[in-house]
This record gives sequence, structure tokens and C-alpha cells, in this order.
Amino acid sequence: MSRQPPAPPRGARTQRPRSSSRIRGWLRHHRAMCLDSARRLLRTPIGSLLTMLAIAIALVLPAALWLALDSARLLDAELDESATLTVYLERHVDEAQAGRIGEAVAAQEGVARTRPISAAEGMAEFQQALGLEDALERLEDNPLPASIVVVPLDPAPEAVRRLAGELEALSGVDEVRLDLAWLERLRHLAELGSRLALALAVLFGLGVLLVVGNTIRLAVESRRQEIEVVMLIGATHAFVRRPFLYSGAWYGLGGGLLACGLLGLGNQWLAAPVSALAASYGASFTLPRLGAEGSATLLLCSTLLGWLGAWIAVSRHLAEVRPR
Amino acid sequence: MILFEHVGKRYGGRFEALANIDFRVRRGEMVFLTGHSGAGKSSLLRLIMLLERPTRGRVLVAGHDIGRLHPSQVPFYRRQVGVVFQDHQLLFDRSIFHNVALPLEIRGFDPREAARRVRAALDKVGLLHREKALPIELSGGEQQRVGIARAVVNKPSLLLADEPTGNLDPQLSADIMALFEDFNRIGTTVMIASHDLALIARLRHRVLRLRDGRLVADEEAA
Repeated sequence: MSRQPPAPPRGARTQRPRSSSRIRGWLRHHRAMCLDSARRLLRTPIGSLLTMLAIAIALVLPAALWLALDSARLLDAELDESATLTVYLERHVDEAQAGRIGEAVAAQEGVARTRPISAAEGMAEFQQALGLEDALERLEDNPLPASIVVVPLDPAPEAVRRLAGELEALSGVDEVRLDLAWLERLRHLAELGSRLALALAVLFGLGVLLVVGNTIRLAVESRRQEIEVVMLIGATHAFVRRPFLYSGAWYGLGGGLLACGLLGLGNQWLAAPVSALAASYGASFTLPRLGAEGSATLLLCSTLLGWLGAWIAVSRHLAEVRPR
Repeated sequence: MILFEHVGKRYGGRFEALANIDFRVRRGEMVFLTGHSGAGKSSLLRLIMLLERPTRGRVLVAGHDIGRLHPSQVPFYRRQVGVVFQDHQLLFDRSIFHNVALPLEIRGFDPREAARRVRAALDKVGLLHREKALPIELSGGEQQRVGIARAVVNKPSLLLADEPTGNLDPQLSADIMALFEDFNRIGTTVMIASHDLALIARLRHRVLRLRDGRLVADEEAA
């Protein structure tokens, strides 16, 4: 044997496919493994379904919480609009004075809009809201002052608080109420909720990884001999890994689809009592739906999680599987 | 084609499977590796297949120090070496055809080109009519021939065989050996580990004799 510079062994000449046909071969193997892994899943329908159901259940909880938060955020945006101040005028102020004060308030810097409410209008709203017509009608005198609802330009709490101070200093103004406390409370709750949702999403995402990882680990174990043989005759790790990655992705996709279905069912199940509850408060509220975009995101995430779980399981295992 | 330079292999730091092995196999040669079981035949073949790496010395194949190959290069090296295993290492859940096609599938061959080569290899070992059968339906000798077809379907320049006639009767063993001689005749370098001394003696090829992990004789072809 001569020691020539690197040249592939010749002899009966090993033929190497050209690069274009190599890419075609690579794509062909992807397609074949994609279908083959799906067939393997279908061959054990109950087992596959159970795995997918476990994934779906792990996905439903964070997804539902996320949906709830999303609708809370919508509510919050509406509330920003209505982050209003109510300026109560002193009781002795008459209508002409009220008009002047109203103009002064509207001219104040940082005020977007105003809506004056006369004492009589205030009474009417109050009666309507509480349904206490009889009791209030017995009052001889209207106990309510005239008021002005002010929509600030800047809904940030500090700005609103500053504006309130300025308005309170105007003559004829008795008191300025701002409904910030509960708004802030709601914000804090929403923040808490979104952090919880994130923590849950991470935990349950890990759960999905474990479910897929464990299933794939068993699949690798059952095909150990096959893996050893193909590695003996020159299969790369990528080649060995490929069918399992597709299995993982299928499990993830199936779990995601089931999760979408479960969310839809849950929505149907809860829709009637929720809208009845909302109606009893005189509001109309429908449960949020996942929608096309949300479903696509969920499916993408679940598929990626399945793929990743398989990758971790196979890679951990490949290190152990050594051809004998 | 194969060059061993002061090669030693220890397992677990104590047991010395091979010690100070030096030999060279030229391109196109056919060589038998013999010795009683435990003499180190399999260990030596495993070094060439890169299933193990030597603890001392160097192994060169086609001019490359295979001990220095990066792990990611190992699969590509193995594709150039055809190996016939004593226990066949066939996949029992797929047909003879698909077993033989496996090396080509791994290399991403066009299915039509692959089918052509698989049939040619099966024809060569006389099993073309059994291509749809499962390995379990075949006799030991036939399974071994499937293993040989799989090893040569890739047209490797080096063909290794570990006890290819281990469990076969003398007539079948002679047939199998004749197959290896055919491949050798078209330029393939062949190395066969076997303890069937009578058969080896009849075939008149070069013989490397191992005893307790040492190369004790290198008898050129008569």
C-alpha cells in the first residue's frame, strides 16, 4: 500500500452520489421518515392517543389561563378609556355657575373631554343603576350635587392624581373622586395572572417534553437492534434521529389538536352560565375563543415541543447505543 | 490498504486483547485472520471497523490514520468498508430486498438505481428469487449470503468478514468462501477472520495467525 495524500480508497471504487442527488436523497428520506413515523403511530392507535391526550391536558391549562388573561387585557384597555375623574360641585352652585365651572374645568391643561351631569341627571342615573326609584322618590330634595365627568389626556395614575389636585383647587369644586385604586388592583391582578400563566406554561411545557421524551425513549429502546445495525453500516446520527424526531413532532401536533378540541369543548360547556352571569350584571360578555391565529400558535408550539422532546431523548440515548 | 503499526488494545486497563501488532495488507489482497477463539481476531477487525480505537499504535486504512478521524466522520468511513458479521445483523422486520438496500438508503441513493444494485447483489449471491422473503424464512447459509450482499451492494474497496462460515456445514462454507474470492478477483481487498483451518488451508491465500493477542505467523499465499 502506498502512502498517498488523502484519496478515497479505490479498489472496486466506492461511488458517491452527486450533491444534487444527495439533496434529493436527503429530502426523500425526510418524506419517507415523516410517513413511516406516522404509520408507526397509527399502528398502536390507543397508545399514541393516550400520549397525545397527556400532551393535550398539559397544554390546555396554560392555554386556558392565557385566554382568560387575554380577555382581561381587553377589559383593561377599555378601562383605560374610562379612567375618568368625577368632579363634584358644591351643593349651593346653581346651573349658571355650574356652566362656568364646567368651562374652567374643560380649559384645564391635561383634560381631554368633559361631560357635565346636572343634579337631576345624576339622580336619574342613580335611580336607574340601583333600581331604588320608590325610596328615592320619597326624598323631598335631591341630595346629589351637580358633577362633571373628566376624561384625562394621560391615563397614567400620577398624571391623573396631579390633575385631580389642580381641579380640586378650583372654586365651586367640592371634591374630586378618582377611581384609580381598583384600577390599579386590577392591573396588579392581571400582572400576577400573566406571571402565573408564564410559570405554568414553562412547567407544563417541560411536562410535554417529558411525556414525549419518555415515549420516544421507549421507541428507541424497542428499535435498538435496528439502530445498532444501521450505525454499523455507516448511518449518521442525523439519519438515526430523523424518524424519532418526526414521531415526536406527530405526537406534539396530535396533542395540540386535541388541546384545541378540549378548549373548544370547555368554551361550549362554560358559555351558557358565563353569559347568564354577565347578563345578571347587565353586561354582555362572551368567553374568548382561541381563533385561527391562537390555534396556529398552539399547534406550532406543541409540534416544536414534541420535536424537541424527541431530540433530547434520542440524543441522550444515541450516546449509549454503541454498535457491538 | 491496511497498515497496523505497533498496535495494542487493552480493555479496562488490564486485559490485553492485542499487543504490538504490525502488518500490512496490500490493495486487492485476500487475507485470512486465524487463531483460536479469544486470540484477538474480532478485536482486530473491530479496530478496522472503528468500533474500537487502539490504545497504542496506529491503524491506517487507505493511507488515513483512522484513529484520528473525528466521530462525525466515522459513518462516512464505515460506508467505504463492507462488513459481514457472524450473526448476520439483519433486520428481521423487513424483507431481504430492504435489508440489502439499507446501505444505499443511508447514502440517499435514488430508489431505482438502488433497486438495480440490490438485485445485482442478490443475483451475485444467488438469492434474487427470495427478495421478498423475510430473513426468518431463510436458512442460516442464506441469511449469511444476504449479509454478504448487503456488505457489497455499496461496492466497497475493503470487505471484512468475522467468522462468516461460523455455523455452516463444509459445503456451504466453501460456497461462501468462493463468493469472497469472486469479489477479491474484481479488485476488492478482503480480510476474513476464521478458525476453519482446513478450509483456509485449501484456499491458499495469505494467513495471519494470532495467539493470545500477538501476531505469531504471517504466511504468504502458497
